[in-house]
Amino acid sequence: MAAPRRRNLLLPGIALAAAVALPFVDSRLPQEWQLSQPVVDVFVYAILGLALNVLTGFTGLLNLGVAAFAALGVYAFAISTCDIYPFQLGFWGGLCAALLTGAVAGLALGAPTLRVRGDYLAIVTLGFGEIVKDVLVNLEPITKGTQGINPLPKPSLFGQDLGATGQYLLILGILLAVVVACRSLERSRIGHAWISIREDELASRAMGIQPDRTKMRAFATCAALAALAGALMASRLSSSGEPNNYDFQLSILALCIVIVGGMGSIRGVLLGALVMVGFNSILLEKLTRAIGTPDAPMPDALAHAQGLEKVGVFLRSWAQNVLVNPTNWKFLLFGLALVLMMIFRPQGFLPPVGEHEDPPKDADGAKGKGAAA
Amino acid sequence: MIRRTASIVAALTGAAFLFAAAPVPGDGGTLKIVSSLPRTGSANSQTTSMVNGIKMAIEERGGKVDDWTISYEDWDDASPQKGNWDPAVEAANANKAAADTQIVGYIGTYNSGASKIAMPILNKAGLVMISPGNTYPGLTKPGTGEPNEPRIYRPSGKINYFRVVPTDDIQGAVAAEFCMKDLSAKKAFVLHDRELYGKGIADVFKKTSEGAGMQIVGFEGIDSKASNYRSLVTKIRAANPDVVFYGGTTQTNAAQILKDLRAGGCKVPFVSPDGTFEEAYIEAAGKENMERDEKGGGGVYITFGGLPAKELKGEGAEFVKRYMAKFGKEPEGYAVYGYEAARVLLDAIDRADTKDRAAILAAVAATKDFTGPLGTWSFDLNGDTTNRTMSVNTVKNGKFEFVKASGTAPAQDH
Amino acid sequence: MLRAAAAAENLAIAVLGQAGAVLPAFGADGQLSGQEVFSQQLVTGLSNGMIIALIAIGYTMVYGIIELINFAHGDLCMLGAFLALTIVGALGMAEWSGVGGVGGVVLLLFSAAVFCGGLNWSIDRLAYRPLRKASKLSLLVSAIGASFILVNLGLFWGGLPMDVFAGGGSSAAPKDFPALVSNRDVLTLGDVRWTLNDLLVLAVTVPLMVALTVLVKFTKLGKAMRAVAQNPTAAQLMGIDVDRVIGSTFFIGGALGGFATVVYSLYNNTISFQMGYRMGMDAFIAAVLGGIGNLPGAVLGGLLIGVVRSMSDQYVEARWTNAVVFGILILILVFRPSGLLGAKLREKV
Repeated sequence: MAAPRRRNLLLPGIALAAAVALPFVDSRLPQEWQLSQPVVDVFVYAILGLALNVLTGFTGLLNLGVAAFAALGVYAFAISTCDIYPFQLGFWGGLCAALLTGAVAGLALGAPTLRVRGDYLAIVTLGFGEIVKDVLVNLEPITKGTQGINPLPKPSLFGQDLGATGQYLLILGILLAVVVACRSLERSRIGHAWISIREDELASRAMGIQPDRTKMRAFATCAALAALAGALMASRLSSSGEPNNYDFQLSILALCIVIVGGMGSIRGVLLGALVMVGFNSILLEKLTRAIGTPDAPMPDALAHAQGLEKVGVFLRSWAQNVLVNPTNWKFLLFGLALVLMMIFRPQGFLPPVGEHEDPPKDADGAKGKGAAA
Repeated sequence: MIRRTASIVAALTGAAFLFAAAPVPGDGGTLKIVSSLPRTGSANSQTTSMVNGIKMAIEERGGKVDDWTISYEDWDDASPQKGNWDPAVEAANANKAAADTQIVGYIGTYNSGASKIAMPILNKAGLVMISPGNTYPGLTKPGTGEPNEPRIYRPSGKINYFRVVPTDDIQGAVAAEFCMKDLSAKKAFVLHDRELYGKGIADVFKKTSEGAGMQIVGFEGIDSKASNYRSLVTKIRAANPDVVFYGGTTQTNAAQILKDLRAGGCKVPFVSPDGTFEEAYIEAAGKENMERDEKGGGGVYITFGGLPAKELKGEGAEFVKRYMAKFGKEPEGYAVYGYEAARVLLDAIDRADTKDRAAILAAVAATKDFTGPLGTWSFDLNGDTTNRTMSVNTVKNGKFEFVKASGTAPAQDH
Repeated sequence: MLRAAAAAENLAIAVLGQAGAVLPAFGADGQLSGQEVFSQQLVTGLSNGMIIALIAIGYTMVYGIIELINFAHGDLCMLGAFLALTIVGALGMAEWSGVGGVGGVVLLLFSAAVFCGGLNWSIDRLAYRPLRKASKLSLLVSAIGASFILVNLGLFWGGLPMDVFAGGGSSAAPKDFPALVSNRDVLTLGDVRWTLNDLLVLAVTVPLMVALTVLVKFTKLGKAMRAVAQNPTAAQLMGIDVDRVIGSTFFIGGALGGFATVVYSLYNNTISFQMGYRMGMDAFIAAVLGGIGNLPGAVLGGLLIGVVRSMSDQYVEARWTNAVVFGILILILVFRPSGLLGAKLREKV
């Protein structure tokens, strides 16, 4: 076991060193090659991914509404820090408020839905996400509706403004703390209980694990961490954004991070965040900028063409109007990447190894009875 | 013949574009202008019009201002995961623009929410920002939004944000007055899309109406992704209004609401703001739904911050002619806004004749009696356009038609 | 069809003229009374619900057989709508009337059905079949990816410089779908209207639901489908070609989506490349509400959602409608954790 263990530490060590070194190297590069800002986004999304991983990866409960927890974190942070409200707790106070709100929301959603299983649970969480979003939009007197709340405090330490590099390192530090917390939880009694629930709820009940309490803990942890990620997003933007920014699409992105990375694997989730967020903010962006936007579309001459010529004009006009513009391809490239990654690495890039050799099985092994009846 | 003309035009514009993009050695160097607009997703058609307008403005100057070569980049502030503007992307764009010293002007954003994020970043960098689309008053006008607005968007204490579009508080009031005076409406049903723009205008519409004695028989935020609004139409029919106002855009389903109103037999005028002043609205709604019926019922009215293309004279008319030649259709509201934003920026660069951001910013702020397709106007002390001319338009035979102009002439502001 | 509708209308006026006397609240005076509003909302809700139900059946069939939450289903329907609009534009169908008009609608229904069926089958072949042995969630992500691809194809399609699409840079703009089926009244009760549009919804969805029930209950393929749904391994051992059965299920589910999308387009008269999201979401909720994999359940779920939406628009506030729908969904699932008609999930022993 000694050799693999050392290798296990070597790669994360290199990755961490690279992450710490990045902002220092980065500032010496030409402007278009600077990556530290998009990488901070990767860190924040990684926290969101780790949050979902607790519930979906460890415990096997599919959550399609993790964005709701993030949104609650955003608004808890915003309301507790912005100067138009009486609280003004500052950056760290805001983070605590977000964590607390998240945990309470997690318990509030978890408690009534303990009986709901599998994909039924998935849709309950999805519905929760939609309800939270609508409530945040509609409760204008408190949340300012779609106006958003700003300004919000940037990441800071002891009231000191940290600058870009300092903020980068601080968020990296918070991510590290979350990773360590998840790792310790996974190895603790609680983590073992989560995984046993995922593998076989009935058997774990027989072993003296209380499924309800275990699931509630997973819900609370997931929600608190997701709210933390939300608070960091808001702090980085210095604005709560609109509630619609935290919609189903964000939940889907978080889910993709977890599954593409490797469900139940912390290192996998980190890599997943890098791949999924980097794909858009680094790769697609560089690509579209390299190609550039073409000149404006030409007028159609379709009505005047005849026969086969008409087909030519038609296709050329289509190509000029639509196809040559790289921004029109973004959905397709993103989707294609997802499908291909799943076909070639269905278990994710870095599935869990070591103590839990088996990749997670489906939450409910029993197939739906009486289907298509 | 037409095909040949088209290909010549293509060759010429292609050449012009290449010329614009390639840095020519030996002159003043290259100045970069960027726009940050949601290009991926549902706002694509509106932002394409804006980008067309911007490109047109740059092309008109041959891609050069004095000895400076102007290079333009069309940035996207939306992401495919969101299918809409993404705050993280907008922040990244603003940060990138702030750090790139070649960039002397930032045209954006489309969504006021996005500007709330970009403004403080660009303000600290002293980079001038001109929005062709933001209408939320709080971005510039003290006392209209939250108590801390607009101070929070100006951490440096200076103003770097300007806009060429009139704000919601002006447009909503014009729409309400039109309904009361010209349509003689006594009862209005107000809908909005629950977004910053639509809700903002609807709120002003409601407030103005109530102040002037028009009864608001319903005020509803709709679900802009719904497949239809037939049940809402029943509710509207039961309330029996004289006019329906929708604070929203083509993107947020204005056309569907109109169709369902007509299909449900509710033949009252349908009024909407400049978010629907585009061909796409007519295409989506179907022209037959926009006509008045034999009894004079129905009809649609669209308010717009400026005069429509056809009513323009002088420089404006020239613009319309050139735009028609290039794109084969009349410029839409969004194209005009994009064009005007870019032109004002180029004009300021011309006057400043430097790559110094502060000088260009000062030149933009000093813009006075600027003449273009939106009329003759200046930037006021808040960075807003002094243009108060609003027009009300309708649709006849599938084409926008000018009804009347309202508001005070811009000249009176000086 | 039109003549029949006119006859039906005359009959209805004759019958309901009497009813109007009996029910004073239902007077055709242009002023909607409380009862009229309620009845109209019920009519609207049921029509909307039936469209949702038809999409939900396709959704739930696929779920029943491979337990995939098929996120791409709504976007598949969206492409079907673009195909239908292209046919309408290419053949100039907006001008057709009488028998030709009815024939045109039938043509649209079947071309969209074959197209969506075929496309769904291909998506299964390319994006899902390689993942049969993988975890359910990998399959889910693949479906999400497929959904993004379909959305982008819709964006391309919307930019086709055809007369119907008006070309230009507005590929992302919503498109008008000509009202081939007019909005004239078939039945009226006071000011409550049941139009040709509503009739169309009924005339397409009910026969399809019956046909599908027959197919699943009484044909060999239906039996095979049920067998695979219960236990794919055992089904294979019994000599059933599992991949073929799954492929057929995708085809049938997609075809139903194709029918549904034409009805949707004719009913709402607007299509856009992003409409699939809401279609798929509503269908998903309906399928779950009824009990996933359960066909009558999907119909019940769809109708319930349609009616709840209408009633909430009327009696609550439109801005709370989504929250009301999801709130009811959560409540139902908390008390009936496997949907309204879903079989009780047995605990694994």
